Amino acid sequence: MTTAFPSAPAAGRASAGPWRTAARVLGRNRGAMASLAVLVLVGVACLLAPVYARDVAQTDPFTSNVAGTVMLDGRQLDIMQPNDNPLHLGLSPIGPTWRMAAYPLGADSQGRDVAARLLYGGRNSLLIAFSAAALCILLAAGVGIVAGYAGGVVDAVLSRMMDIMWAVPVYLFAISLSIVTVTQGLRIGPFTVASDNLLIPICIIALVYVPYAARPVRGRVMALRRSEFVTAARGLGVPGHRIVLRDILPNVTGTLVVLAPLMTALALMAESALSFLSIGVQAPAASWGTIIQDGEGLIYTRPMVAVAPGLAIIVVVLALNILGDGLRDALDVRDGDRGRG
Amino acid sequence: MAMAVLRRLGQTLFVLFGISVLVFLVFFATPGADPTARIAGRNASPQTIARVRVEYGFDRPLPVQYVRMMEKLFVTRDLTSYVNRGELVVPEVFQAAPVTVSLVTGAALIWVLASVAMGTLAAALRGTWVDRGLMMLGLVGISIPVFWLGQVANLLTQSRYHDSWLFSWVPGLGYVPFTQDPLGWFRALVIPWVTLAVLFVGIYSRVLRADLVAVRGEDFMRTARAKGLSPARVLLFHGLRTSMMTFVSLFGLDFAQLVGGGALLTEVVFGLQGVGRLTYQALGNLDLPLIMATVMYSAVFVVIANAVVDMLYLLLDPRVRDGRA
Amino acid sequence: MVARPSHTLLAAGLLLAAAAGCAGPAGAQDRGGATTDAGQTGDAQTSDGQTLGSPHRGGTLRLTASSSGGTLDPNLNYTSQYAQLFAVLYDGLVTFRKADGPASNDIVADLAEAVPQPVDGGRTWRFVLRRGLRFSDGREVTVADVAASIRRIFRVGSPTAGSFYGNIVGADACLRDPAHCTLQGGLEVDPATRAIVFHLHDPDAEFLPKLAFPHASILPADLPDHDLGNAPAPTTGPYRFVSYDPDQGAKLERNPYFRVWNADAQPDGYVDHIVYDFGLPDEAEVTAVENGQYDWMFDNKPLDRLGELGSHYTAQVHLRPLFGMYYVPMNVNIPPFDNRLARQAVNYAMDRRAMVILYGGAGVAAPLCTMVPDGIAGAIDGCSYTRGADPDHRAASWQAPDLDRARALVAQSGTRGQHVTLLVQNTAVDMSMGVYLRNMLQAIGYDASVKPLAHSVQLGYIQNTANRVQISITNWYADYPSASNFLDDLLGCENFHPGSDSSINIAGYCDRATQALMDRAKAATDPAQAADLWAQANRAIDRDSPAVPMIRMNYIDLVSRRLGHYFYTNLYHMTFSRVWVQ
Repeated sequence: MTTAFPSAPAAGRASAGPWRTAARVLGRNRGAMASLAVLVLVGVACLLAPVYARDVAQTDPFTSNVAGTVMLDGRQLDIMQPNDNPLHLGLSPIGPTWRMAAYPLGADSQGRDVAARLLYGGRNSLLIAFSAAALCILLAAGVGIVAGYAGGVVDAVLSRMMDIMWAVPVYLFAISLSIVTVTQGLRIGPFTVASDNLLIPICIIALVYVPYAARPVRGRVMALRRSEFVTAARGLGVPGHRIVLRDILPNVTGTLVVLAPLMTALALMAESALSFLSIGVQAPAASWGTIIQDGEGLIYTRPMVAVAPGLAIIVVVLALNILGDGLRDALDVRDGDRGRG
Repeated sequence: MAMAVLRRLGQTLFVLFGISVLVFLVFFATPGADPTARIAGRNASPQTIARVRVEYGFDRPLPVQYVRMMEKLFVTRDLTSYVNRGELVVPEVFQAAPVTVSLVTGAALIWVLASVAMGTLAAALRGTWVDRGLMMLGLVGISIPVFWLGQVANLLTQSRYHDSWLFSWVPGLGYVPFTQDPLGWFRALVIPWVTLAVLFVGIYSRVLRADLVAVRGEDFMRTARAKGLSPARVLLFHGLRTSMMTFVSLFGLDFAQLVGGGALLTEVVFGLQGVGRLTYQALGNLDLPLIMATVMYSAVFVVIANAVVDMLYLLLDPRVRDGRA
Repeated sequence: MVARPSHTLLAAGLLLAAAAGCAGPAGAQDRGGATTDAGQTGDAQTSDGQTLGSPHRGGTLRLTASSSGGTLDPNLNYTSQYAQLFAVLYDGLVTFRKADGPASNDIVADLAEAVPQPVDGGRTWRFVLRRGLRFSDGREVTVADVAASIRRIFRVGSPTAGSFYGNIVGADACLRDPAHCTLQGGLEVDPATRAIVFHLHDPDAEFLPKLAFPHASILPADLPDHDLGNAPAPTTGPYRFVSYDPDQGAKLERNPYFRVWNADAQPDGYVDHIVYDFGLPDEAEVTAVENGQYDWMFDNKPLDRLGELGSHYTAQVHLRPLFGMYYVPMNVNIPPFDNRLARQAVNYAMDRRAMVILYGGAGVAAPLCTMVPDGIAGAIDGCSYTRGADPDHRAASWQAPDLDRARALVAQSGTRGQHVTLLVQNTAVDMSMGVYLRNMLQAIGYDASVKPLAHSVQLGYIQNTANRVQISITNWYADYPSASNFLDDLLGCENFHPGSDSSINIAGYCDRATQALMDRAKAATDPAQAADLWAQANRAIDRDSPAVPMIRMNYIDLVSRRLGHYFYTNLYHMTFSRVWVQ
């Protein structure tokens, strides 16, 4: 269990101005810079979703429109087109028209504009991914530092807890939590979180990846604790919290920063998987995973509904991974890249 | 050493106990999860409901129910489903296991071979466009959601190009038992194998390349090169052997997680009735006995694999033992 | 993804098909006629129920389903999947006629010699068991087996023990103490005359269809008093089990002790063997039947395959109307739907055409205006809640939603702006309906949200008053063709159990005048009088609008190219013993 990051404590260095050096190295990394540009571009496009829906396509991506029609090249077309067969079996939504103003990527099974949903879905997917990654790293830093610095019983208890969480495959763990909370929402003392609140997937994804992110932090902290400057500080009687704040925390920041894009990528994948299993973002809201799920029933007739959000996920995750690589090289922190299927 | 093994065993049992209690409590804390009315059937009379409650022991205190369930699961092995009345869950899990094992073993074979080839090649041609291209390919593989890849694979092989020479051999979705038709088994699983393997080819080839590059600088490698061995030989025989340590431990954990149900997305997309899909269905149905059986099965696999890998490390690498003290 | 066809669940009951040619709408008949059914129905060789000597006799019928249907105990299983299988395996004293089409709604004598006329105003029913019948293990069927089977309904806790058979004298004691159930005073048998006599507390005009239900199948007396699980019981019909595994499937062979005693009740089978495999997902099932690997699939046909089925496999697709419906129960005991105007507003605003589209188009569904589908005695023509109509001025058919009127009614009711949560199952079709309905509720003035629940949980959840569910979407299939299966089951006082997950009167509706009408209808042994009473109750409910009927569904059957003599009974769908494969 503790072997996933055997090389974690390999690097240790706190020279002057490491951040500036790192920024310069990163700036020269064309791949990383391009990825950053792609991420910004996707983010801006998703933020502009309401503009597209309201002003360009003039459609509400959250309202079913099965009985509606659309004007295309001067012809009035049903959005849900009856299949042309003698038994009148089944209907198909309109396919991609490639016109910006009228269903460029076609409609889903409820007659909604896939392009508009893609943009709105991206907002949710990215929001969840970034928030979950941030929360996860925060929690992991806490757990990792406490376990690594305190050692002994505290470390044993925390590590066993991480073991329990890690023993269940990540997706199964997330699914179990989601099914429970999606049914009823979450009630913790006076706080009630509705079942369609985005906080639920955010917290679940953050939680399930804590063991994954905490492990390298703990390893790094353990290595630091035995390092000369910490030993010296302790010998001088510096209180524990001062050591953690002044000596340990700055030195694990590099590990955390490198983890950030990778965790975001993992969180995005986890979100899409949960939503794909319809236990992530709840209808009528969209995320890339829910759109793929909507598209599953149309995969043979209207593949674009599922293909488009999948491509969006790939582009963003790829950009995050390249950025993560660039950050690692720039900050010279080594650990294995690992995801789980 | 024996002490370490024993302690590890105790911890393992403790972890399993913790998971089962967690699953049990979460289930009974879920509103709407009370299975009585579902077992009794549609529009059952209050008397019938009361009868089912007693018959299944839902009127007993939770600890008693927990012990009874564990006893039925592990001792008498006659635990029955809450959803399909009378269906024994233990055989159900053991029927699903071969499907998952078939899927994961085939995929593992593919990803090990492909990633060793890719990783070694990239390390040997470090810095060239082949290296960059292969590593980029690996990164793309890591970035594709497996369920989406499966859907697209289905779209191409089952629908769009199914009538072309390319994919006309692909059978409909579903599993064919090996004992029944080995060729059918193979044909039914090739596409799922490749789909599942893509992610891991990406991860493993990158890890392997990084390790190979790292060990280049080590003393024994320099010695080997100094002895005049060819660079390819050094890389393959000395470098690869050393790097296999990380590789194997990573593999042990991933393989166990997948066999334990982690491959559920692949199973769901390809309609393979494996352990992961079974777990997912059980969760969707809130079928506690089946959830318990599948989760325990999965946890046993993963925890044991973890313990084995850890102990291998203890045995093989004293550095790590000191490192984690 | 969580989706499984709703009728494979324990919770959902039997699918029941409408009489296609009887009183069904003309459109439905046309659609039925569009398939290749015509010309196959009148087969001379079926008249005596024998298949010996037929050139079509023999071969193996291969069936497929995504999963098993639960316990093999005929007294317990409440799924349409196994009711269909049990129809060629087990027999009751009476049964529904095995006929292709509307005649299959009739009750005929099965193990009993004749269908009795009730005496004592419908309180006493006397049957005589046929001679020389044998179980598939060779033992003779005796009146003791009949008595034990009826008692076993209570002893094993059949889901319908209370609702169907609770009216038998002595049933109360059996429900209270199942282990010592005797039905003292309610069930008498006489081995000498082979007579079986039931005594009921109250007259019950529907006692025969209840006895024809699979839960009243006659089984050997020595079966254990608990769920049989996966161990099959000896059969009386033309087939018997060779093996059964809930994860793999079932294998059936001919029952060597079977002989035709009444061709209407239990004719002989054509195929020698039936293989029923479990485990393929629905999409793969469709492909397998299209390719001829299987002859028939159980599960609902996925929506995205309907176009392909309709265009390329027209001859292999059979469409029949079902006595099943989607409807929206509204809780009449809590705001805002404790207000009749608010309930009527939802009924006016319901876009039934959109619901038809979401369910798969006009080929598989049709708008539904009252709580009793057409073709059942007690159904009423026309539509109250459509544009330009009201309960006093019914339109001929549903036209369009009347949102203006709905808004006005919401405003008038004083419930405008209230928060409404709609509970739906998280299956694809139900979710899409839920999203649509939420928009509609918003449009008529409510602050609406939709809440999806796991499909296995939702039905129990919406029934329990403790969950304070205001409005939900659910579906319902009748167990036998009677208005009672819709009106009394879904809106009768006796089916409202506050605080219980089993309270199928989800609306919590209980109107004394309407209930009195329904109670009289249930006791009326004269069919015409019963139909009139049901129609009166239906009209009263229509006016009160405790639930909004949305659509009625058609059954889509897909068979292999080689399957001939497609034969469909309204209750149990395709009859496995009547189709041939060579």
